[in-house]
Amino acid sequence: MTITRREILALTAGAGLAGIAGGAVLWTRGGGTETAEMTIKDVLHDPDNPVLGNPEGALTIVEYFDYQCPYCKMGHSMLTDVVEEDGDIRLVMKDWPIFGGSSVLASQLVFGAASLGAYEQAHEALMATQARLTEDQVRQVLRGGGIDTAAALAAYRAERGKWDGLLGRNSAQAAELGLQGTPAFIIGARIHPGALDETRLRSAIAEARRAA
Amino acid sequence: MFAPLIAALLLLAGFLTGAQAQPLQPEDAFVFSVKREDDALILNWRIADGYYLYRSTFAADAGGQSLPLSLPEGEIYEDPYFGEGQIYRGEVTARLENAGQPVTLHWQGCQQDGICYAPQSVRLDADGGVLADGAAASGSGWSPQVADSATSSDTAGAASGLTLAEDEGLVQGLAARGGGVLVVAGFLGFGLLLAFTPCVFPMFPIVAGMLARQGEALTARRGLLLTGAYVLAMAAAFGLLGIAAAWSGANLQMALQSPAAIGVIAAIFVLLALSMFGFYELQMPLALQNRLGRVAGKRGSLGGAMVLGFTSALIVGPCVTAPLAGALIYIAQTGDVMLGAAALFALGLGQGVPLLAIGIFGPRILPRGGGWMEGAKRAFGVIFLGFAIWLAGRVLPGPVTLALWAVLLVGTAVFLGALDRLEGDASRNRRLGAALGILLLFTGLLQGFGAALGAHDPLRPLAPLAGGAAPAQAQAQFAEVTTRAGLEQALAQADGRRALLYLTADWCVTCRAIERGPLTDPAVHAALADMAAIKLDVSDFNAEAQALMQDLAAMGPPTMIFLDAARAEAAGSRLIGEMDSAALLASIGKVSP
Repeated sequence: MTITRREILALTAGAGLAGIAGGAVLWTRGGGTETAEMTIKDVLHDPDNPVLGNPEGALTIVEYFDYQCPYCKMGHSMLTDVVEEDGDIRLVMKDWPIFGGSSVLASQLVFGAASLGAYEQAHEALMATQARLTEDQVRQVLRGGGIDTAAALAAYRAERGKWDGLLGRNSAQAAELGLQGTPAFIIGARIHPGALDETRLRSAIAEARRAA
Repeated sequence: MFAPLIAALLLLAGFLTGAQAQPLQPEDAFVFSVKREDDALILNWRIADGYYLYRSTFAADAGGQSLPLSLPEGEIYEDPYFGEGQIYRGEVTARLENAGQPVTLHWQGCQQDGICYAPQSVRLDADGGVLADGAAASGSGWSPQVADSATSSDTAGAASGLTLAEDEGLVQGLAARGGGVLVVAGFLGFGLLLAFTPCVFPMFPIVAGMLARQGEALTARRGLLLTGAYVLAMAAAFGLLGIAAAWSGANLQMALQSPAAIGVIAAIFVLLALSMFGFYELQMPLALQNRLGRVAGKRGSLGGAMVLGFTSALIVGPCVTAPLAGALIYIAQTGDVMLGAAALFALGLGQGVPLLAIGIFGPRILPRGGGWMEGAKRAFGVIFLGFAIWLAGRVLPGPVTLALWAVLLVGTAVFLGALDRLEGDASRNRRLGAALGILLLFTGLLQGFGAALGAHDPLRPLAPLAGGAAPAQAQAQFAEVTTRAGLEQALAQADGRRALLYLTADWCVTCRAIERGPLTDPAVHAALADMAAIKLDVSDFNAEAQALMQDLAAMGPPTMIFLDAARAEAAGSRLIGEMDSAALLASIGKVSP
């Protein structure tokens, strides 16, 4: 038997097709198996992140913030007022400590307070401050807000895996989304970097509702 | 793969619908430059209007030591929101005495009434040149270690209390020394090496077939042109893979190494082999044949050659997955799409060089058919089957692999006539064939015995009889860890012994090969005896696993990191991808006891 051109061509083509099929399988598998993919749901609905506003609300506002970031704190009471007045908004405050040790400590103590059932109380106490904070000031503010900081630290340590995991996810998401700093809002499916005044916030909410 | 896409879509939506001014990119808000003056570096930041930098956040360090930075007095905060302290607007210039070694600078600032940026940083070499590695900029800013102490750090590895070696990976090393050109040249050479693996064999009949279609009209020039087009198209397909790798980060190799992918490729090779044995003809749909025929029309088959080349890469690509996965890790690490494309393009070109030889000498070295070609086809078939077994061996249990080798070797031996009786006047070739057949038969029987004995290594089928080091021992020595907290604890338990961190995962097939190979080597065992071996399992590729990898600056399994007693990584010791005992021993040797 001699090898003919036709045979070789057929073999070639068959191999090429098999390769394409294999490649296609690879690609679809690649899409299906990667648990690491971040989806918009991971950003809006992280099960470990406490929720403010109406937990059943149809619209979600996410804010990446730092307890020492002046503009996060400056606009915070306006934000919570708008959310409360609206009544159909889930407010997810994502801790992204970018200002160093005090910010990390503040997040950890507030998470500890959350384990004790006092998330909002602790969170609002710190958000009501204006300036940058030392670690002592963080504890002092929380104590002033009625939080037992030693108990909060113990509660944070008891669930350290959960809270550290949340912080890790937040900062990974911030990096993936290309956020440059705090505050950064995600309203509906849009990123709004930087502080929002009330007019821009309300129009962003209206826009997100229109798009939904 | 989708995350950047989501981000891009979200941002795009932002640009389309929002007329609001977006905050500047941090590098545009704070434009950094550096000048050398006598024995000092003059550092300058030009600050965009409406932006400011915090004086207290400026810092310089080298080798873990903080360096004094002379900064001018700043503007005192007047707004109560800023708290106490000083800020700079417009411009700030600082002076840093020459440290004689690379320096990392840190700063942080905000847009007035807008956004506060994550900490920024830059690395300078001793002469003030900005090192390309600006990856530290806008780091996560968070590390779990800061819990109770006032210090914060955003360098990778600090989170685990480890000092990572600052030596660069292969690509970074090449890029630093000779720029992108050297990286591309390196991959060209790498491709040339790959050209001599069985992976490229399926291409020989493809190219041969393509040239054969030219019949009498084939000249050396024409052959070169055709194979050139073929090789270029193949290289282009690899280039696309490079783009995908650089774009998607480390996750591509997970898909390439999945057992299903390996199964598919092994099956393709079995099919190829069966057709080589003449069991059936592989046919493509008639429509496609006609179409290819038209493309190949009378202008010659340049277009056809390119189509063939492109599809061929799809066969060869997954076949060279192990070395390719290693290369892809490096490319993914750079995240540089252009470099990724160029490097993989060069890899494809390198693999194609031997094919060009066929193009040039085509008319002379192409066999004219006949018994010789028939034999060559069968030989290719056997090689393809062997290759399929070798591939499948990465996911199949050891004894099954040995059994498959036994089947292949015994089968081949019988077809070579090992069991036929030789007549007195048998030709020399016939006798040589029989001798080879008997050798194969013997080897095949040994593989069969090995399978029955439960051996794992086809190269040492009788190892269970020899009573050597049992592979189970190697596994038992590793402490298994899946979280950063676990790693901390395991390192604490190591009592100041040197440590080996081995990043692995269920889906990492190369890791299986390492565990069966070098990790069962008695010499490696002996060398590891006084080290704490810690296995970091990232099978669940969750946030914690990713954080762990980020802390270790590891792009994916398999990665081995060698730490000395002070928990500093030994320079140049890191191993990524496939490795042998020699590489492992060399790296162990680099860690000071």
